[in-house]
Amino acid sequence: MDLAKEMTKEQAVLDSMKNSYNHAVADSFSTTSSKSLLNLESLEFPTTKVEYWKYTRTGQIANKAWKFGNLDNIDLPENLPVAKYRMVFVNGHFDTQRSTLPQVEGLTILPFSKSEVQNSIAQSEEDIFRAWNTAMPQDGYFISLAKNKAVEEPLQIVFLYSGENTISQPRSFVELAENSELKISEFHIHSSGSLAFANAHSEVIVGDNSHLKMDIVQHGSEKGFHFHETFGEQGKNCTYTQNTFTLSGNWTRNNSTIRLKDEHSECNLNGFYIPNLKEHIDNHTIIDHEKPNCESNELYRGVLLDKSTGVFNGKVYVRQDAQKTNAFQSNGNIIVSDTATMNSKPELEIYADDVKCSHGSTTGQLDDEAVFYLMARGLSKENARKLLINAFAEDVLEKLVNGDLREIIEDTIQTKLA
Amino acid sequence: MLNIKDLHASIEGKEILKGLSLEVKPGEVHAIMGPNGSGKSTLASVLAGNEDFEVTSGSVDFLGNDLLELGPDERSHAGVFLAFQYPVEIPGVSNINFLKAAINERREALGEEPITAKEFLKQVKEKASLVELDNKLTNRSVNEGFSGGEKKRNEIFQMAMLEPKLAILDETDSGLDIDALRIVANGVNQLRSKERSFVVVTHYQRLLDHIVPDFVHVLYDGKIVKTGGKELALELEEKGYDWIKKEADAVTA
Repeated sequence: MDLAKEMTKEQAVLDSMKNSYNHAVADSFSTTSSKSLLNLESLEFPTTKVEYWKYTRTGQIANKAWKFGNLDNIDLPENLPVAKYRMVFVNGHFDTQRSTLPQVEGLTILPFSKSEVQNSIAQSEEDIFRAWNTAMPQDGYFISLAKNKAVEEPLQIVFLYSGENTISQPRSFVELAENSELKISEFHIHSSGSLAFANAHSEVIVGDNSHLKMDIVQHGSEKGFHFHETFGEQGKNCTYTQNTFTLSGNWTRNNSTIRLKDEHSECNLNGFYIPNLKEHIDNHTIIDHEKPNCESNELYRGVLLDKSTGVFNGKVYVRQDAQKTNAFQSNGNIIVSDTATMNSKPELEIYADDVKCSHGSTTGQLDDEAVFYLMARGLSKENARKLLINAFAEDVLEKLVNGDLREIIEDTIQTKLA
Repeated sequence: MLNIKDLHASIEGKEILKGLSLEVKPGEVHAIMGPNGSGKSTLASVLAGNEDFEVTSGSVDFLGNDLLELGPDERSHAGVFLAFQYPVEIPGVSNINFLKAAINERREALGEEPITAKEFLKQVKEKASLVELDNKLTNRSVNEGFSGGEKKRNEIFQMAMLEPKLAILDETDSGLDIDALRIVANGVNQLRSKERSFVVVTHYQRLLDHIVPDFVHVLYDGKIVKTGGKELALELEEKGYDWIKKEADAVTA
């Protein structure tokens, strides 16, 4: 009897993953993991019939026998900014050799498997990829910053992905205690030509009066898949800022879900993407205003070239209790070719009556009149277009927490526009 | 310098210029006047290389080059400058950076060294004062949030920086009050020289009180139907365009 025929594709992929899983799960997290593994028995791959996945297909991920990879020796990118604190992860394994972690009082940095995290703040029964990560987590960072501590220098975290049919499931957790401050620069880099699926999961908890500022740079490969989910919870009088730059990648999906659980806090989610060829980039955000007097700002900008497709779906909830909420959301896109597509869907759900909320979405071509104006002054068509696109990108670039990342981002933009 | 012969141009299949001829010699100032819809702005756009317009026949020679063969940027490098009737607002692009890029691109095209930062700043200061353009405006995004007068002054400032051989002013007076008009005209007058020519497109005679032309041409229905000295402008101001239309229509009939 051929057993394979009776297996669902979900089971088939899961078996392949289980057989190759080579990571130790921390004792503290094992109950959560086991529960997730049980959930996986009933979870299916999302189809485009589900609203949350309407414009992003997962079929290419569903039909591969993903296997976990090893701590391969992959070069760090040459233009990586110099950093005082650096953590390197290769295919979900912590690379001790290439990590530099000076001791700082009050700052705990560990690979996730060495942490004592017990639970997930996300619901793993809702999504198959999330459940995968929770059931078979690999190493991302665990960072905990004590009360009244501020770390000036940004922590640099580099995730490298490589191989053929390789899955990586880095799991990260960062917690800021009261009145503390931290900056993180995260890089996710797929080796050129590799066929890897990065299924990254991050959780952030920002305590009262604390500030967490994060830049994320994503560099995918021509064939790979990149999925990054972030779940955040904010306390009182605190700030969470996340800037995501998706510079390349065949398939990228980012989900960021942030809960504003107490008053007078601020959440800033910004993003820039510049897909070319047949690249697909999807940003989904959810900001949940649960309490009064909070502010959220979202600015997502995209430049779509060639046959690329983009998706933006930003949802803002303002709960009944969340009076005096200020929520602003903006998504702007420039479609540079006749064959690129953008799907943009801003959504607001407001249950309070004394709030200021706005959302806007614009998608258009490069302004021909502006191009002609610049050319009439002597700029070539190519340079006129570049100047306009750079100006458009600048609105997000100026939000960068770590200015050292600017060059690496601008270089990619220039290369893609050339 | 500029020799336009029997120029025909259309937009979206509609013919606007219907056999226009004009010769401009170095140092001359030519005013092009005419009723609305006669093709004045089309002429300016075609000379600058706006691709929305299609040249169907005729020729334009500029200093021995076939101007119509050149792209807008190449025309700029060759020394043609168009002061736009409606300067475009370009958010995020700094006025100064863009001008520097424009100057250096032309220098590169002409095989010259890039302008030094010191020389550039010196020129900015000098040329901005020609049109009393505030320092703050030169550093802002191109035309963003500028008043109508500031936009036109910015055009003349750019012209001064780029030092063209032929400047085409497309209804630079439109929307300007008398003070702004005086500042703009004063800037233009300071840039007049034996080598530099101007084509001043305007609907009203008022601008020509300040920028005194050598020739006044009346454009009607896509052709130049009358040419005279500066007195012609006064006559048009007094009598309107109806008598020109009648005369021209009588000839065609």
